[in-house]
Amino acid sequence: MSSRARPEFDPELKAGLAVVGGVFPPTITPNLIAFMRRSYASPPIDDTLRGRAITRSEHTIAGHRGEPIQVSVLRPTRAGSPRPGIVFVHSGGLMFGDRFSGADLVLDWVDNLGAVLVAVEYRLAPEFPDPFPREDCYAALEWAAATAGQLGIRHDRLMVAGASSGGGLAAGMALAARDRDGPALCGQVLDYPMLDDRGVTASTGQFDGVGVWDRVSNETGWSALLGEARGGPDVSPYAAPARATDLSRLPPAFIDVGAAEIFRDEAIAYADGLWTAGGDAELHVWSGGFHAFDIFAPHTVVARGMVRTRDTWVEKILAD
Amino acid sequence: MQELLGRISALDPQASLGLRVIACFDELIIGNVNTRALLSAAASLSGCNAGYQSDLPPRSLRVSPRGEIVAPDDGPPTPGSCSAITAEGLTVWIERDGEPHANDAIVLERLALAVRIRLGGGRREIDGRRDLGLLLDPTVPTETRRLAAARLNLVSTARYRVIAAPLFAVWDEHPSGAEDVVATPYGSIHALVVPHDHAPVPARPIGTGPATDVDHLHRSFRTAVVALRLCDPEVAPSVLADDYGGLVGLLADLPLDSDLPDVDSLDAIMSHPWGSVTVDALVRTSSVRQAARNAGVHHSTLQTRLDTIIAELGYDPLDNGIGRTRFGLASLVWRLRHSRVLDLPAPTTPSSPTPLR
Repeated sequence: MSSRARPEFDPELKAGLAVVGGVFPPTITPNLIAFMRRSYASPPIDDTLRGRAITRSEHTIAGHRGEPIQVSVLRPTRAGSPRPGIVFVHSGGLMFGDRFSGADLVLDWVDNLGAVLVAVEYRLAPEFPDPFPREDCYAALEWAAATAGQLGIRHDRLMVAGASSGGGLAAGMALAARDRDGPALCGQVLDYPMLDDRGVTASTGQFDGVGVWDRVSNETGWSALLGEARGGPDVSPYAAPARATDLSRLPPAFIDVGAAEIFRDEAIAYADGLWTAGGDAELHVWSGGFHAFDIFAPHTVVARGMVRTRDTWVEKILAD
Repeated sequence: MQELLGRISALDPQASLGLRVIACFDELIIGNVNTRALLSAAASLSGCNAGYQSDLPPRSLRVSPRGEIVAPDDGPPTPGSCSAITAEGLTVWIERDGEPHANDAIVLERLALAVRIRLGGGRREIDGRRDLGLLLDPTVPTETRRLAAARLNLVSTARYRVIAAPLFAVWDEHPSGAEDVVATPYGSIHALVVPHDHAPVPARPIGTGPATDVDHLHRSFRTAVVALRLCDPEVAPSVLADDYGGLVGLLADLPLDSDLPDVDSLDAIMSHPWGSVTVDALVRTSSVRQAARNAGVHHSTLQTRLDTIIAELGYDPLDNGIGRTRFGLASLVWRLRHSRVLDLPAPTTPSSPTPLR
């Protein structure tokens, strides 16, 4: 039966779903990927940047296998000395979205903390399955570190951040940077991250057909990335960080997630794994929150709380 | 959320944004959120500041589209610089510079209602719900329902049907008639009243209730919701309750979580790839041969499946005694229990990509 016990949505967020559902259906099957690519495309970046003292530059860099990918660098218009840097990985279930999806929330870090944001246009599944997305991201991280001098980024203050699929990819970048002796990171911001391809947690099965991003959507996303390998023994922890068996020696992590979304349990488990390995992690579980509610309903009490709490942590790590 | 509304319009120019605004405020009222949250939603939906001012107690609040409090001006902005509604000592407004947008009026109307309720303009106000909601609620006294019907220009001597649809239904043609968003145990449902002899409405998914007089329209609605939940996007995007005689009305009164072993025993059969189509074929006939034709398979194949079904159920669905009735009823309840029609918005896919703003 479909009447499974689950936490209620917060009333303001539930009201928001009346609008959100028209753009982002709860259940995304492969035949909806084309629709989602239109509905989840970010608004024109110049509109987003209007009224902000932010300068944008575009760069074509070598992604996975040396093939060209696009990267945008967003810096405070008046940055004198080298600034903290953030490699930002966008949301969109590994299949849609672009490097500016959800960017308005992280642009506040450029405005308020003077950070330099590096937004990577990683290639999307299913056309570009694993390892394209994660290795494109890692290439952008290495590029940001290697050209830090020219970009005006401080070597000692480089962070990765991402939301949803981008959160999973950011966690994967931190693991890969550790294992490959890559760039030193001062933090990882993992917003409601997509970490586990196995779909075995209790929360994964609690929200079929409601909210944003249900179990079926998640299977669609992971299958697009991993194909037949999904849920099997041969999945890289850089693609699905919940697979990592060693969570030691990682940068401080900030993890937030909604209590009413399928990623709740994998986010909690990842924080727990970091603590167990002696690491530094801060975890916030927001009552009544559906997936990515801060992007879809930023005007609500819960979303303002989430954004404020996250910004406070980022300030602690990055600010002068 | 203004940007989201814009995206919905760009993706589907036919989409009714007004209904989404109404459903949004319905949830806020049911959730009993505070005035700041109500203003935040109005500001977010319209993309400009929203505010209210009440005489008693003397209070005012202005909120930005991001839900942040804005320093108070000197009372409500002057007429012309905004849209405002004033009634019974309460003013609400949205601060639109220039021409009003298409949804401003409905946002403002819903905001005014919601703030009045939150300020204790009474539980009376909740009972003073919109007319169609009253008319379709059997717990409301008959006399009140008749008054609501009169205000909706529904005639006591005529017969009507209620059509039930999700907010995201696709309408090729939208009949005019009393319509609103009505709260049900399955979430907000779009209800529309049409004359009993109205031509079939080209929309999907929808359920159409039986024809009744004004006093029994709540019955037509409850039945229409069951018909809607029997819809299947692929096979039956529109279901008429009349096609099932009184059966759908019967199901409207059945608690779906009741203990029904005949329904549970269908689970195993439905898990076969051939389950659904075979059960449907058997329900609609009394012979193996005809069922095989319905399902588009050889009769020996169907006989094998039927043997499996009989072994699983412990009775013969084609038995001319009580077996056929058990099977037919169980399959309908099973479909209701597993209905996904309200879960799955049906995004339209315009033939050419639309630029998004």
